[in-house]
Amino acid sequence: MADAEDRSAPGTPGAAFREGYVEADGFRIRYMEAGQGVPLVHLHGAGGLRLTPGHDLLSRHFRVVAFEMPGFGQSPENSRTRSMPELASTMAQAVKNLGLDTFNLMGTSFGGKTALWLALQAPERVLALVLEAPAAIRQDGAESPSGSPEEIARRLYAHPERLGAIPLPDPATRAKTQPLVQLLRGPNRDADLESRLSGLGPPTLVLFGTLDTVIAPAMGRVYKELIPNCHLVFVYDAAHAISTDRPEAFAEVAVDFLERHEAFVISRTETVIHP
Amino acid sequence: MKVSFFETARYRAPQALPPEWPVPSGAYDRDAGVQAYRDMIERLQYVEELGFDWVSVSEHHYSPRILTPSPIVSASYIAARLQKITIALLGPIVPHSNPVRVAEELAMLDTLAQGRLVVGLLRGTTNEAMTYDLNPQEARQRTDEGMELILKAWTEPQPFGWQGRHFQYRTVSIWPRPLQQPHPPTYALGTSRESCEFAARHHLGCGVSYGSFESVGKATRYYREQCARYGWQPAPEQIIYRANMLLAETDEEAQALLHAQPGGAPFAMRAGVRDAIMALDSRNIAGEARTLNVGGALPTTFVGSPDTVVEQVRCCRNVVGAGVLDLSLHPPGSGDLGPLMRALELFGTKVLPRIRDI
Repeated sequence: MADAEDRSAPGTPGAAFREGYVEADGFRIRYMEAGQGVPLVHLHGAGGLRLTPGHDLLSRHFRVVAFEMPGFGQSPENSRTRSMPELASTMAQAVKNLGLDTFNLMGTSFGGKTALWLALQAPERVLALVLEAPAAIRQDGAESPSGSPEEIARRLYAHPERLGAIPLPDPATRAKTQPLVQLLRGPNRDADLESRLSGLGPPTLVLFGTLDTVIAPAMGRVYKELIPNCHLVFVYDAAHAISTDRPEAFAEVAVDFLERHEAFVISRTETVIHP
Repeated sequence: MKVSFFETARYRAPQALPPEWPVPSGAYDRDAGVQAYRDMIERLQYVEELGFDWVSVSEHHYSPRILTPSPIVSASYIAARLQKITIALLGPIVPHSNPVRVAEELAMLDTLAQGRLVVGLLRGTTNEAMTYDLNPQEARQRTDEGMELILKAWTEPQPFGWQGRHFQYRTVSIWPRPLQQPHPPTYALGTSRESCEFAARHHLGCGVSYGSFESVGKATRYYREQCARYGWQPAPEQIIYRANMLLAETDEEAQALLHAQPGGAPFAMRAGVRDAIMALDSRNIAGEARTLNVGGALPTTFVGSPDTVVEQVRCCRNVVGAGVLDLSLHPPGSGDLGPLMRALELFGTKVLPRIRDI
């Protein structure tokens, strides 16, 4: 833990993360890794991989492997992947090729849907699932953030002052990935996926920021209705990008859930003021 | 105009009381306490008979001036003893409460009272922070978060956790839920920019108190602007104005009552405490710093004969935009019940029928 703190320059999220590449399904997939212990695989949102203070906090407890999925960020355009289950299967393969048999899985927004498919495809490998503002179930009329980087940032963050050294989304990269996102994200209500959720094995934590204007936080209850072992937590005063707006609050509940699963409802907060 | 009677459980001390807040609880007289609550019910039955729309109760501590430290207890007791009147619980001091508990109790009361509940949520007056060791600098933030959690607890059908800044729960799933859906009519009480914005964002009413029409009018105007920004328009009864009224047969008599009022607040804080807590306060009216009233008497807004008061109410409606008047007829804390009952009768017969259409 101390080691990770020493290597993180203040204000530079992900400074302790090392870059790596792994081959899967003919893609060369970039990932960022930090920390030790049980692996925690992260699948990013439609904006691509952006390391946040949330990743740093999680890496104090887990071996965090944050992937850049094919077609996003620095990777070449991806015109091969045709569906979300296909992307999930590629990512499962990438994790396997890193030598990780079982792991915790976290998906953010768009990547929340990828993570759900991955957990459905490989239930015996996923220990527990954390979905940060998942975009797998969306309200009527849901609209993705669009426009200038500043306009997009206004939709994603309630506390842009906490962005620190994290750059705003790059319009060119975004333009490149938009067709892929459009193809893979599916309808607002995906009957095929939803019909399978009653069979989802791993304990699941769904997080929504109370100020999310991209995905209505009220969608959280649908996950609870559909997934057998599902917990819903609202992160107060966070918008869509929870782990940037309130990284400490985000990481505390995510870590507690990944460590204790449904028993995380039992408080461990100590209230003794003086012995 | 709807009219609410602000009930403070008038305690009549059998002997002189120490002047400082907190008032030593050893000075409390148990018989006087029993009598105060007995009189309260008798008075409220009359208030209901006179046709008042609401009776309101508030939360104040460590003093006999307003003898209702737990508004949920007073509201429940009143609801059980009265038949028709709406109970306005204005309101639990949110920052030093357990918001989930507040949501549960209010939902229970709404059900027990068969939907006769109106709720105001607030930060509380400055001195109340000391009641349960609340850091005054955290009061605003705890209020906002607590109010949001109460609304969520009332409306979210699935068990949920709350990862807050000041409150944290892993499982919330209240029973019963409120009878009124999605929840009882709810007001954010206060003139501050923060309070008005919260009310506008959550489609809540707004409650202001004691300031002049012009000064609280700034707050209600700001509230309406914010509502417009969020794409809605509040109804008149979504604005409550709480004020003191001194009503008499003639203007001269009313003015005489006003001049007989004591100048300072009863049970003031020690000066060193008062100055220190005022330095920490961020009270404002729609963003403009507000002069704190700590140690002074609360102003009396409505003074005069029925004719004069009716005109003042008309002016209030125009300037403040309030559709609900929450009135202390005779200052809260006054144990002088005879004049209070006469003022009530006068108000019920000579004022109330004439302000309905305002």
